[in-house]
Amino acid sequence: MTTIPQTQDLPRPGGFPSIRYKRNLPKRGPSGVVLLTAVAAISAYGFYRVGLANEERRELKREKSWGRIHLVPLLQAELDRDTYRRTVAALKREAEIMKDVPGWKVGESVYHNTRYRMPTHIVVPEKDV
Amino acid sequence: MSAAPRNPSLSDVEFIDPTPMPDSIPKVDEIGATSAPLQSAAFFIGAYCKEYNEDFMLCKNENNDPAHCLKEGRKVTRCAIDLLRKLREHCDKEFEAHWTCLDLNNQEYHRCRAPERKFNACVMSALKLEKYIPDSPANKPQIHLKEKPLYY
Repeated sequence: MTTIPQTQDLPRPGGFPSIRYKRNLPKRGPSGVVLLTAVAAISAYGFYRVGLANEERRELKREKSWGRIHLVPLLQAELDRDTYRRTVAALKREAEIMKDVPGWKVGESVYHNTRYRMPTHIVVPEKDV
Repeated sequence: MSAAPRNPSLSDVEFIDPTPMPDSIPKVDEIGATSAPLQSAAFFIGAYCKEYNEDFMLCKNENNDPAHCLKEGRKVTRCAIDLLRKLREHCDKEFEAHWTCLDLNNQEYHRCRAPERKFNACVMSALKLEKYIPDSPANKPQIHLKEKPLYY
């Protein structure tokens, strides 16, 4: 009976070549970190500009408000004169209408104090008057 | 003669009261200017008529009755008329350019900076009035003087 000499299974001389396990893909564009930083930087600049614009809009609003505030006395004075003229005319009309009613006080307030209130109702003469 | 009390806001009857002002009240011309010239001149009215305006508003604060502040109101109107006359006298061209621009641009100040700058300079040299916006941040130029505005 012949015996086969036992031999250990060994790599071939010079060793095996390395196994290619990575996919062979070309490099595509900048890395994730670079992209993230770039997007963050662009957004930060954008928000900075938004802040500047908000500040400017606030000042424009202030300018507009003060432009109107300066005109309030003028417009109010004109309106007051007109209201006064119409009130006087209305009271005169009321006195004329109610002249036969004894004890009628023209323009008497329904409240028990003298504070001024805008009249809620006006007496309008009929159309042909 | 009959008359019905009507809520003025619900009334469908057009009613223009033709009764003139009682003779006991001194006559005063109304300002007669439309919104654009008034807005164009607003800051100068505020500066030129400061005392009259504040007096009037304090009076109104005292009593809201229209009859109470007629005298102060006349002063306010006369002062504004006086200022508008002076503006027309000294800076007619610049004034008109500015308010026409306001009229054509939805009455936004920021869209009429170029005519406004000329107008302000003219008023400054002729009447020594300066446009000043109160309560603006002190460390920055006022918005109408900003060199490179984002909105224009």
